[in-house]
Amino acid sequence: MDINIVGPKVYWTIDLPFEVPLLGGKIEINETMLISWIVMLIITGLCIFLTRNLKVENISKRQAIAEWLVELADNFTLGNMGPNFKKFIPFVTALFATSIFSNLIGLLGVRSPTADLNTEAAWAIVVFIMITHQKIKSSGFGGYLKGYTEPIAVMTPFNILSELATPIGMACRHFGNILSGLVINSLIYAALAAASAALFGLLPGAVGELLSGIPFLDVGIPAVLSVYFDWFSGVMQAFIFCMLTTKYISNAAEG
Amino acid sequence: MNPLFLTETATQDLVTINWTFIAQICNLFIQMFLIKKFLFKPVREILAKRQAKADADIREAKEAKEEAAAIKAEYEQNMLEAKEKANELLATAQKNATAKSDELLREANSQAAAIKQKAEADIAQERRKAVNELKDEIGSMAMEIAGKVIEREISEKDHTKLIDEFISNVGNA
Repeated sequence: MDINIVGPKVYWTIDLPFEVPLLGGKIEINETMLISWIVMLIITGLCIFLTRNLKVENISKRQAIAEWLVELADNFTLGNMGPNFKKFIPFVTALFATSIFSNLIGLLGVRSPTADLNTEAAWAIVVFIMITHQKIKSSGFGGYLKGYTEPIAVMTPFNILSELATPIGMACRHFGNILSGLVINSLIYAALAAASAALFGLLPGAVGELLSGIPFLDVGIPAVLSVYFDWFSGVMQAFIFCMLTTKYISNAAEG
Repeated sequence: MNPLFLTETATQDLVTINWTFIAQICNLFIQMFLIKKFLFKPVREILAKRQAKADADIREAKEAKEEAAAIKAEYEQNMLEAKEKANELLATAQKNATAKSDELLREANSQAAAIKQKAEADIAQERRKAVNELKDEIGSMAMEIAGKVIEREISEKDHTKLIDEFISNVGNA
């Protein structure tokens, strides 16, 4: 039995008349994009569902959840960044919601959009631009550039390296965790199927042949492991990514 | 084998950067916009409305309290005025009553005095009248007796003198 762990499936290809460096010459509509759109639909649908029939008093459970979520987003963002970062609340919330739903949608048997480095790289580059923007805003462009030569000029390459390490680290941390979950899960499925085949292959004759084709051990056991690899890891990575985003941006604003 | 990893359709490499990167940047901002529009905006609106309502309620309550306090003060003021007025009325009534009773008493006294005076005057007059009558009677009686005693006519002048003497004697008795 061979296990092939590959990237997302490609459903549709749009050929561009020109080649874009780094991105290539064709746009491929793949599993990542499709599942991302499904995730977005789920999140937006949930938002619309939760905020239906909002009332000033005598509120429904749905509205209580919606208000609690808004409060949670406010507290998380402002608690980590300070009261001057109100305009980042929707961004951090979108990041967290997309991340957690993308991670957990893997439980439904589809490929997580976060199991594709493009997703995390996209988020990390946006965060990186925001960090840089805040740095330039707080100390000016000259001050920002001068920051690379501190404490001494010799440190400049290392400073540049550490600056670039921020988005790369954020993206790879998230991607690595989700991908490793995916890899381990598929290994477990394959291993348990093989074990199942070996176990029931011990039965004689046609019965053994029939039963060994059905991966009985794949029922139930992977669910226990997915509590860590999907649930815990998925929630944790979403949380860590947003935590780092808020901390980096607010630190950058302090100069 | 997990159906996800069937390799029949074309797949991308496990780790690449391609157009999905751009798509995911767009998706993130679209998602941000959608969350802003469908979660934050309506919820914040309703929270603001609730805040406004709570503020209005508190303001109304404050106003009602102030109004009640004003009414209470007015009521107390009125009560005080009424009490004062009642006291005044009572005092006036008492004064009036005293004055009236004094007047009545005085009037009664004066009336009594007048009645007494009149009675005394009547008595005096009656007495005078009785005395005069008696005087006349006694005079004629005395004259008759005297005439009979002395058998002679006494002059009218003597006569009258005699009688007056007599009467004055009687009157003093």
